[in-house]
Amino acid sequence: MDKALHRNEGLENRTAPARSSRARFWFVIHGWLALPIWAFLFFVCLTGSIATVSQEIVWLANPVVRANAPARDAALLSYDEILAAVEREVPGARVRSVSRPVKSIFALTVQVTRPDSSIARLFVNPYTGAVQGERGAFDFQEFVRALHGWLLLPFVGGFWIGWYMVSALSIPLLGSLITGIIVYKRFWRAYLRPRLRWNKGKRIFWGDLHRLAGAWSIPFIAIMAVTAGWFLIQQILNDANVSISTAGMPLVVARADVPVTARGEPAARINLEQAAEAVRSQLPDLEPSFVGLPSNAYDHITVGGRGNYPLLFESVDVNPYNGKVERTQRVSDQSALELVTGSMRPLHTGDFAGLWLKLVYLAFGLLLTALVFSGMMVWTKRTAIKTVKIVRQRRQARLELEAAE
Amino acid sequence: MTVLVSPSRGSSLWQRWRFHLSALLLILPIVFTPAYLRDTGLFDGVDDKTRLGAHEIGEFAVGPWSVRLAESWTGKPGFEGRAGYAKEFTMALCSACIDSVRAAYLRVGKPRNVRTAGALFSGAPYRQTAEIRIPERATADDLLWLTLEGWDGTLHQTTIPIRIASPAMTAWLDKRRR
Repeated sequence: MDKALHRNEGLENRTAPARSSRARFWFVIHGWLALPIWAFLFFVCLTGSIATVSQEIVWLANPVVRANAPARDAALLSYDEILAAVEREVPGARVRSVSRPVKSIFALTVQVTRPDSSIARLFVNPYTGAVQGERGAFDFQEFVRALHGWLLLPFVGGFWIGWYMVSALSIPLLGSLITGIIVYKRFWRAYLRPRLRWNKGKRIFWGDLHRLAGAWSIPFIAIMAVTAGWFLIQQILNDANVSISTAGMPLVVARADVPVTARGEPAARINLEQAAEAVRSQLPDLEPSFVGLPSNAYDHITVGGRGNYPLLFESVDVNPYNGKVERTQRVSDQSALELVTGSMRPLHTGDFAGLWLKLVYLAFGLLLTALVFSGMMVWTKRTAIKTVKIVRQRRQARLELEAAE
Repeated sequence: MTVLVSPSRGSSLWQRWRFHLSALLLILPIVFTPAYLRDTGLFDGVDDKTRLGAHEIGEFAVGPWSVRLAESWTGKPGFEGRAGYAKEFTMALCSACIDSVRAAYLRVGKPRNVRTAGALFSGAPYRQTAEIRIPERATADDLLWLTLEGWDGTLHQTTIPIRIASPAMTAWLDKRRR
């Protein structure tokens, strides 16, 4: 066993005298943390990496989600113009929400309910208002996210087993990170003098790759392990019906504010430009990228977007009858716990600073995937074989002993 | 005594594959893909037969108006912590009454006034949902009370027996009572 472990390290201190038993202990823990579940972890890391850029993959594959401008100086439509365009192209459909990523290559996503009671997500050109297409029954982006996040498993008796299975991987991930740092003495040398020997046999290659990828991904793995761990804690709190929200009761428009109309027709509402004006006066820094239309007569117009803190959305609720701003949810209105919670998802997905960050996340995600695979290769190519050999040797020795008796 | 031991075929297979067994977990998403697609379809009402929800209860006249009501999902009520148990229903207003109905409410048992009319439906007139609370004392013989409020302030009501509205909830209430 001793020898096996020694060979297995392949660490920089091969010339050092026999390693302390404590280091050996951590080494064994490091090896066994992920090995029994490596294939599952590999799958989750791989699908997660793909999920990071799933929106861009759809963009490449499907022209209807792109926001092509008809001319270089074309102006973006206002929200009211978008509503008018949708009504023109899909008569009778009721718009529920409009998502307009700021300065984006993506078309607007307009969620509507059709007169036949079905829900559709329309891809609308932000310059022309043309409905370019709609999301199909199979949506690659949602599918990959569901595959990565909960293995497509349904709620069973209100218990989301798939979510637990995936988020619980944060424990071996965090453990592997910590034990990896412990056993990889002077890991920072991988930053200064990276080494990947690809022509000295498989063992050397996978070992070098594992150490190199591991050292370079320390911050990324830490982010993934902590955010995923938080998703696990959040789900536990959720299932225990513990709420950490400071948002309070759902906001409703006061009954007195909803006009009674003598002839029984719907009361007049402000238009979205007026709502946007009310929001601008309240939160000048907000870049509105989402508008939710009232979902019933007592509901508000909700306008949301990113403010100065890029990780979180801020939102404003506007009374649709009198244009009053009745609630603002700024970053500063949230508790520290909510700030942390709200920041976890964007930190996990990398979707808050633009395409460049998504590509960085993709690269490190694939590196982490490779790390899982190389870890398995190192282990099975070295230690497991060695362990089996040692067990066999001992068994042989015992048999010989028995035979001698 | 000499014993010849050679690893059996079974044990060598085990030696070879034991660290890769977690790959078997990937059978789960394959098995559940059809259910996943069915559920997302149900959520969006893409299918003619389940346009409003998993179980369409029927069309009900409410004063001068009429609505179609459905169970969004055909499960028993879910536990929501302090709020107790709850169950979601989906409703569509008749096309002629879209512009005259201001709000719709649903609850178990008769409401005393419009402020206690129950859960307020949310969504487009063609498809709105409400999650109703199931009172502790509710039985399967109780009625669901649907209240519609017009833009002119008038109120109209109708009742639907729980036994008709939701077989799953009926069975759950019967079981809870015992």
